Amino acid sequence: MSDRVLAAILAALFLPLCALPTAANAAGRLNILTWEGYADASFVKPFTDKTGCTVKATYVGSGDEFVAKLVGGGAIFDLASPQSDITRRLVDAGAVEAVDLGRVPNAAKLSAVFQRPAWLEKDGKTWGVPYTFGVVRIIVDADKVPNPPQSLEVLWSDKYKGKVSMWDDLETVYTAARLAGVKDVYNMTDAELAKAKELLLRQKPMVKKYWFTAGELDTLLANREVWVANAWETNLVNAWRAGRNIVEIVPKEGRGAWTDSWMIARGAGKNPCVYQWLDYTATPEAQAAGHKVTGFGYSNPGMLDKLDPQTRGYLKRLQMDDPAILTRVNWWQTVKRRNLYLETWNQVKAAAN
Amino acid sequence: MSAEALAPIPDVRREARNAERRRLLLWLGPPAAWFAVFMLLPHLSLLYVSLGHMDYVDFVPGFSAANYVKIFTVEPYLGVTFKSFNNGLMTAVLASLIAYPLALWMAFGVSSARARALVSVLVILPWLASYMVKAYAWKTILGTQGVVNSLLVSAGVVAEPLETLMYSRFAVILTLTYIFTPFCVISIYAQLERIPPSLIEAARNLGATDLEILRRIVLPISIPGVFAGAVIVFSLAFSDFITSTLVGGPSDLMISSIMINLFGVSMDRPLASAIGFLMLALAAVLLVTMQWVEKRVQVRF
Repeated sequence: MSDRVLAAILAALFLPLCALPTAANAAGRLNILTWEGYADASFVKPFTDKTGCTVKATYVGSGDEFVAKLVGGGAIFDLASPQSDITRRLVDAGAVEAVDLGRVPNAAKLSAVFQRPAWLEKDGKTWGVPYTFGVVRIIVDADKVPNPPQSLEVLWSDKYKGKVSMWDDLETVYTAARLAGVKDVYNMTDAELAKAKELLLRQKPMVKKYWFTAGELDTLLANREVWVANAWETNLVNAWRAGRNIVEIVPKEGRGAWTDSWMIARGAGKNPCVYQWLDYTATPEAQAAGHKVTGFGYSNPGMLDKLDPQTRGYLKRLQMDDPAILTRVNWWQTVKRRNLYLETWNQVKAAAN
Repeated sequence: MSAEALAPIPDVRREARNAERRRLLLWLGPPAAWFAVFMLLPHLSLLYVSLGHMDYVDFVPGFSAANYVKIFTVEPYLGVTFKSFNNGLMTAVLASLIAYPLALWMAFGVSSARARALVSVLVILPWLASYMVKAYAWKTILGTQGVVNSLLVSAGVVAEPLETLMYSRFAVILTLTYIFTPFCVISIYAQLERIPPSLIEAARNLGATDLEILRRIVLPISIPGVFAGAVIVFSLAFSDFITSTLVGGPSDLMISSIMINLFGVSMDRPLASAIGFLMLALAAVLLVTMQWVEKRVQVRF
């Protein structure tokens, strides 16, 4: 092989790597940083047909990617959909800009709890539009657990040794803190965190598996390997569809809830597609289509009327449109000492059973 | 006159030497650049990040050993690292033990070349299936409603399905061993294949038994293959987290899971980088030790 041929081959191999990423904020297109299912073709295509805006979605695998990619990440993305315990970090870091709600008419139709919620407020401005949500449900297999107490105690009962599954997430630390009677579970003192840890260690012998994906918990429930768990709504709906007698208990200690909001990357508000997307994704039609993909709760209660009667029935049974219920749940907030929470959680998982 | 006639020669020679140098640069340049960009630079940046700390959402550079001190003084980092190291070692030993007889049979027991090729393909074939699918497959085998438990219950060996098969360290090691054994088979087989049949025949002519041939000729020669396979399997199993997430029990936490959480949940890149550096150091110690052992037990022919 002559040198020139080799040089040509090398050039051909490496030059494409130098091609620059397409400019962000280009008119007529949207770059979205989001979870899988939040930019599904089933509702993106009607959006593109209507507005002429094409959508390019980049999916994250975990919440921190929103922070990593938006903070100091250059102007690649127009929109992102972080969860409520991360929104404030993005606002504080100056990675996002305030939303002009006057340009999002459909935002007025969202549930009362999503009207200017605490996790999107700073300096009298609103920094996002709520999109999806879920209440973390405490569920039991009623065939195996008759007359469960309406308390988190059921997750700690040694009657169900090896039959409990907990979400492998900080939410499980919050859950233990609620049982311990901690007032502000998102802002625990060292002593409160230690109490939560003690409870989690006491719970370990009951735990069969810390579930990682909702699908995993579906399987554990379907095989009757697990009778008691903290779960997502999709777990209940899937069990009901399969005809299983799995019921929810409403613990007197309270329930956690997560929610994701659309936020505008700093400087992207001038892209006209951004506000069109914010308004479109707040419509009942787009949210009903989204629910078919994710199974999550959506911020506009009008979306229930666009669902098939069976699914609507399930969501009504879960009280997903009840404003009173949604105001009472314990919405995820920014946890300042997240690393300590995580360390506690890892210590619990690493401890011998 | 003669000096003038000879004058151009050194120029030609220099020209040739320069051309040779340019060619060498062209050939060595890319691998050297690759090494610098994809090996040296990332590890240096890993070290750099591990010496800093996070202030809320911002990374603050620095030269502090605080993250390393933390790994050694605050649980669970060191404990989980050693547990993962142990899992890696156990998987490497088990995979080598299972792979050796198979590789031996492939090298000496299968006579036709076509049959040998077929067995090789069968060993590699599972690799074409996705890693996740293989890990999931063990769920259907070991679960309470799984194949093993159904057989045991219907055969009357146990009254109730065994709960300990699945979601346990046993399941983690079993799955890791299953997934990574082909590496050992291929590596050992490649080494055994190099043993000339004449060597075995000579030993036999001199009165050696099969066992003696295995112990004194085949085994010593195959050691580099065994070590190479074991090192690959160890590295893969040590840093694995998917298998323990899927089939492990509540206590089967791997160090890579902690690292992912440090990135994904608490955004503590500096601490995660320090753990990464510790893992590299541990793996390097193991590699050097194995090389040292290999030099002492290896037999050349």
